[in-house]
Amino acid sequence: MNDIKKARPAGKSPPARRNRNPGHSSPSKAHRPDKGMTRRDTILMCIKNLCRRKVRTILTVSGVIIGTCAITVMVSLGLGMQKTLEETLAQLGDLTIINIYNYGTSTEQPLNDEMLDTIRLQDGVVAVTPVYNTYASRWGNYTFSNGKYTYDGQIVGVDFDALRSMGYTFVEGDFPTGENGYEGVFVIGQDSLYSYTDKKGNYVQQTTKADGSPSDPPVNVMKDKLTLTINKSDQSNTKKQPSFKITCTGILTSDYQRNPSTYGVFMDIHYVKSLEKEYNKYNGVKVDKNKVEAYDNVVVKVQSMGDVQEVEDYIKSFGYNTNSMESVRKPIQDQANQQQMILGSLGAISLFVAALSITNTMVMSVYERTREIGVMKVLGCSLSDIRGVFLMEAGTIGFTGGVIGVGISYIVSFIINHYGGMGGDSGGMLGMASIGGSSIIPFWLALGAIAFATLVGLLSGFSPANRAVKISALSAIKQE
Amino acid sequence: MTAVEERLHPSPGPPGKDSARRPKKAVAADDGVILQVRGLRKVYEVEDEKVVALGKISLQIKKGEICCILGTSGSGKSTLLNIMAGLEKPTRGHVIIAGREVTAMSEKELAVFRRQNIGFIFQSYNLMPQDTALENVAMPLVFKGVPKKEREARAKKMLARVGLKGRMKHRPSQMSGGQQQRVGIARAFISQPPVVFADEPTGNLDSHTTTEVMEMIVRMARRYHETLIIVTHDGDIARYADRIVRLVDGAIVSDTENVSVVPREEPETVDQPAQTQSKRTKPLADSKQGQNQTKG
Ligand SMILES: Nc1ncnc2c1ncn2[C@@H]1O[C@H](COP(=O)(O)OP(=O)(O)O)[C@@H](O)[C@H]1O
Ligand SMILES: [Mg+2]
Repeated sequence: MNDIKKARPAGKSPPARRNRNPGHSSPSKAHRPDKGMTRRDTILMCIKNLCRRKVRTILTVSGVIIGTCAITVMVSLGLGMQKTLEETLAQLGDLTIINIYNYGTSTEQPLNDEMLDTIRLQDGVVAVTPVYNTYASRWGNYTFSNGKYTYDGQIVGVDFDALRSMGYTFVEGDFPTGENGYEGVFVIGQDSLYSYTDKKGNYVQQTTKADGSPSDPPVNVMKDKLTLTINKSDQSNTKKQPSFKITCTGILTSDYQRNPSTYGVFMDIHYVKSLEKEYNKYNGVKVDKNKVEAYDNVVVKVQSMGDVQEVEDYIKSFGYNTNSMESVRKPIQDQANQQQMILGSLGAISLFVAALSITNTMVMSVYERTREIGVMKVLGCSLSDIRGVFLMEAGTIGFTGGVIGVGISYIVSFIINHYGGMGGDSGGMLGMASIGGSSIIPFWLALGAIAFATLVGLLSGFSPANRAVKISALSAIKQE
Repeated sequence: MTAVEERLHPSPGPPGKDSARRPKKAVAADDGVILQVRGLRKVYEVEDEKVVALGKISLQIKKGEICCILGTSGSGKSTLLNIMAGLEKPTRGHVIIAGREVTAMSEKELAVFRRQNIGFIFQSYNLMPQDTALENVAMPLVFKGVPKKEREARAKKMLARVGLKGRMKHRPSQMSGGQQQRVGIARAFISQPPVVFADEPTGNLDSHTTTEVMEMIVRMARRYHETLIIVTHDGDIARYADRIVRLVDGAIVSDTENVSVVPREEPETVDQPAQTQSKRTKPLADSKQGQNQTKG
């Protein structure tokens, strides 16, 4: 072999001969960094490939459309169900309220302000208020009146800041702002507007006017001048009874589900306590210093229904009794969740089938294009670009199917809601007799469904794309 | 390898980036050698049976040289070409192009190397069936990330050069074999790679078209001063080469200079194919003569 090589005359040098025309080689080639295909070209190539096999692409996209549609509609039915459920539960009362009862509960930790602070710091707790009841008028320590009528209901010491977050509504006015402190201000529940006695000690009855509407309350709490007076415990007490001007800032709308209820006059807990001190001072009541202060009833508001269980368990761990709607809500919610899972799974299964079909399409496509991929490799296409083209094809199938699927879902949802024949019947069929029938597609569901379909497309295309990458450049040369 | 040969083929420097793409200085010591093949061996194993496709091939090709690898079917020509172009790995041996060892590159490196250094003309054209002639020619530039405007301008120029100005928007199925191969040629030369490989470029063409296509390939290579390696079983085709390497059963049996290259003159300034030149070509005898010289 060496002989042959040496035999070749070395004299003639083709390069030297042809170097006359060197200007032609590599013009401006070095200026551009070679980073492979541009994104734009990858997209164009992908679209071109998809358009090439129209029927197959359409069929595959249809699979994704059906899958996306199924999953979206199923979830939307689940959401509709959840909404109905929440509406039903809302009628049971505020579900994010936990009541703590401490009647006769002997415990190491008294349910005092310190304990309330501890509970306030717990995750998920929004507000905590004591419900501190005391009575006015004949049985109580205080009297408040407009001079003509005397209030005869309860006075409740609360934390206005906490109450504000508990969703009370007002017939008139609002909670005190607290700008000037909470002294001498109160709100009154609508149910207490007729709880007065006249000067003779007779109850004022609510009557009906000629036109059938209820008579006006005896005291116009928002307008009349009101004074609160400390009562005598002993009639022989001759000292002047201390009295204070008090102002009402609002009337709470009647709502029987609430605690504190909308019956009573609500004042700041600290103000009520200071009134108590005044009373003790005036009447010479000796306070037992060893008696631990503890609230009988405390209301805790948590962030969401999901927080109830945990916070309630935490409070129970101190030995208090508690009560919330959780015990009612949970089984209903659990059942609803189960039904939603069934709905979601039905959708997921169809999208899974669609994913298989995308993979199949892509595998077929890679197989058919073996030679082309080989040629691309010979021409110097980067492996990452080849992978990119195929991944993008799969992703595009997923995305397109997702977009169209969501579009159709909106139509289906509209039909379910407006021609709701399907609602009750099919709901019953799926074991959802009472709930269901409405379909809700919030924006996040639409967006999520499209994103999910695209993701499914990409994942389905992953293995075929890698298969394409592994195809040998020699495939371009082999004659089949 | 003898000591002499070792001296003739010094180990290439580390295949660093600066040595990529026509490192004129690096190859200067090798007297303008752009492609080196050293001790190449390829053995296929088919069901316990070993087929030695290439024995122990060593070869040097100079920059700008048009080299024909001639041999009968099954002599190992394609195997040699594929290994040189980095499409296949040898069992043993090295291929060095432009100072970089192709045989040591990963698939990833090869992709970049190919699009920067290698052009390829296929026997069966291998055009993308859904793409137009223009798009097919521009394809290597797509892989390089050349913007559409620029690559289409360059592709148009190339198509004009291969005489297909009027076929820009035609798809492969709308063109004859000869036309398709001319598109293939335009594609191979568009990025002006230092080395162009052609495996039986006229294998699917009739004799008249063969002449046309061969003249075009050779003219292109000469025009851009590119190294061209053609594999063929057809002695007629060998006439276009500066040098003819004969392969028999995977071994080089002769390596001769073709003293009567056709076409004799380089039609560098002429863009249109000169049909008359084919008539001036001399018969096959030239290459046979060359072979005798070597054997002597
Ligand atoms: N992939 C392969 N597997 C097994 N044997 C092969 C393969 N490719 C080529 N060969 C064998 O190697 C030898 C040379 O083949 P090839 O290079 O294609 O020859 P040519 O191109 O000169 O016709 C032949 O004997 C062929 O059968
Ligand atoms: Mg061959």
